Amino acid sequence: MSTIIGGQALRDLVNDWIGQGTLVAGPGYVKDDLILYCWLHRSDQLLLESYERPHNSIKEFLFPKHEKLYGYHLDGRKIELNEVPPLETPQVIFAARPCDAASLPILDHVFNWDFHDVFYNRRRNLTTVVTLACQEHDEHCFCSAVGGGPQDERGSDAMLFALGQDQYEVRCFTDKGKALFAGKLQESTRTGKAGAGPEILVDLAKVRAFINGSFESPRWAAMALRCLGCGACTYNCPTCHCFDIVDEKVGATGARVRSWDSCQLAMFTHHASGHNPRTLQSQRQRQRVAHKFETYPAKFGEILCTGCGNCTRVCPVGLGILPVLAAIEHEMAVEPGTPVGEKSLVK
Amino acid sequence: MTSQLHKVCRELLASGQVQVIIGYGQDHPEQPPYPLFVTDAEEVPRLVWNDRCAANLVAYLKRKEIKALGKPAIIVKGCDVRALVVLQQESQIDRSQMVVIGMACEGIGEPRLSKCVTCDVHMPQHVDVTIGEVQAEVGEAGRRYADLEAFMSQSQEERMVYWQDELERCTRCYACRQVCPLCYCERCIVDKNRPVRFSTTATLKGNYAWHITRAFHLAGRCIGCDECTRACPAGINLRLLNQSLSKAAEASFSYRAGMDPQAEPVIGAFSAEDKESFIA
Repeated sequence: MSTIIGGQALRDLVNDWIGQGTLVAGPGYVKDDLILYCWLHRSDQLLLESYERPHNSIKEFLFPKHEKLYGYHLDGRKIELNEVPPLETPQVIFAARPCDAASLPILDHVFNWDFHDVFYNRRRNLTTVVTLACQEHDEHCFCSAVGGGPQDERGSDAMLFALGQDQYEVRCFTDKGKALFAGKLQESTRTGKAGAGPEILVDLAKVRAFINGSFESPRWAAMALRCLGCGACTYNCPTCHCFDIVDEKVGATGARVRSWDSCQLAMFTHHASGHNPRTLQSQRQRQRVAHKFETYPAKFGEILCTGCGNCTRVCPVGLGILPVLAAIEHEMAVEPGTPVGEKSLVK
Repeated sequence: MTSQLHKVCRELLASGQVQVIIGYGQDHPEQPPYPLFVTDAEEVPRLVWNDRCAANLVAYLKRKEIKALGKPAIIVKGCDVRALVVLQQESQIDRSQMVVIGMACEGIGEPRLSKCVTCDVHMPQHVDVTIGEVQAEVGEAGRRYADLEAFMSQSQEERMVYWQDELERCTRCYACRQVCPLCYCERCIVDKNRPVRFSTTATLKGNYAWHITRAFHLAGRCIGCDECTRACPAGINLRLLNQSLSKAAEASFSYRAGMDPQAEPVIGAFSAEDKESFIA
């Protein structure tokens, strides 16, 4: 037995949530030719079927690109601190891709490691994630290579499966998911199934061996040669989570805020002394790959990548994680001592 | 065209005239080409040329990693080469220290990019070698700013709402700056933090400050390659901002950036004929 819901009932339900004051985010057209995850005002903005993968990620609904941590007011030598009132509005992230939802349990580690991040965790607790199993994928998808798949359940409170004819099977995995759909589903004998998913496999042991054994390899430079050093890959990545903390002040009143930062930008490691330990783009690329496939797994037991492929989709020069992983894998198959050229790199 | 390109590049590398070819490579015909750096004559067959070679490779001339490869030959389209002309005017490059290979171009993308519809440089100018020949229609000068004019026909309130929606999406990834062949500052003003010049965070206020500042820095310099617009993951139509300044330079000073290496840059030039109507 399964539980199903019709497309119209689903949209009505989304409208009900919005009407009750719940914040709802999902994939929608933000302009004629651009699909992004965005806040929805009405359920007809929502794209449920035959949409491309949004080029951004759902992280911004839990870890916003700009977030006030506290406010302050300076009065002579007196400093008044003002707490940010705790969030109380529940939110639903709807029709997310499984590779987006999978990032949340991965991010939970870092936001609860040496410090319990109240801002992230407050939003996380207020959030219910409903994913839509993937029926299709494109050439940039590689969830298969990092332990995911088109119906990966990690991070999902419930998952929708398109049954065709505007019907969806709903599988609820958590109490949050069950609560969202309580009384709205019909029993059925029909069950849904995700599409085939990508078939790309990468030997991650080889990748780790290269990271650990070839830190100074000139091949990093060859792989990163075309990287222009923007942060598009990191800001559209569901798992990249680095931030900067800055004061924004007008006159005597200001706020301490955190905002996204990117290891691909030259300023990221620029010390106050003027020294920069990462002067080359290849060092920044190496850092990103090493953090995702060696440092984070060593510390938290999980790869910091869900194979969504957004890094390549948004890269103005077609780089991203998959081409680099493929190059490393290829590299590990090349005889040691082969001269460095583009020949053996970035296939 | 490709075989001619390969022949030229092979000779340049084999003779030692250049150490690297900055061009385009492509793995599969369905996938878009990407920037490729060829240092070995044997690797020349990896270079491709087709109507999906969108990137303006001139942006790589500012990268120290690319400079370290030695004297370059760079493959450019007619629009891209205008950036080289500006860099030359601004003493940022020594033209004698590179070979410029210009590709005849009918336009990029299917459908064609906006800039290609009004293109009047299908045959690249001011290059060392030209490859191919096209008879593509020359864009009418009068249609050059059609997108901008359509946008400006809206009310000020409508335009303000448009820019708010657009700039709200900016994440400050700086893809616009990094792909720009003319954004070559050693340290961008947005990265100056002692003191902080303006908000570096992705708020609407900070985003306005960033994009307006960047547009002003490109006033009379932007050559309209639209790489910033192509690169923006948030789909922000930066073309409109840049066009408004290009149009002003053309309308007020009959100046188009990167068309004539001998021309004095409009921002640095004074003429008694300059309009003074703005003084009121």
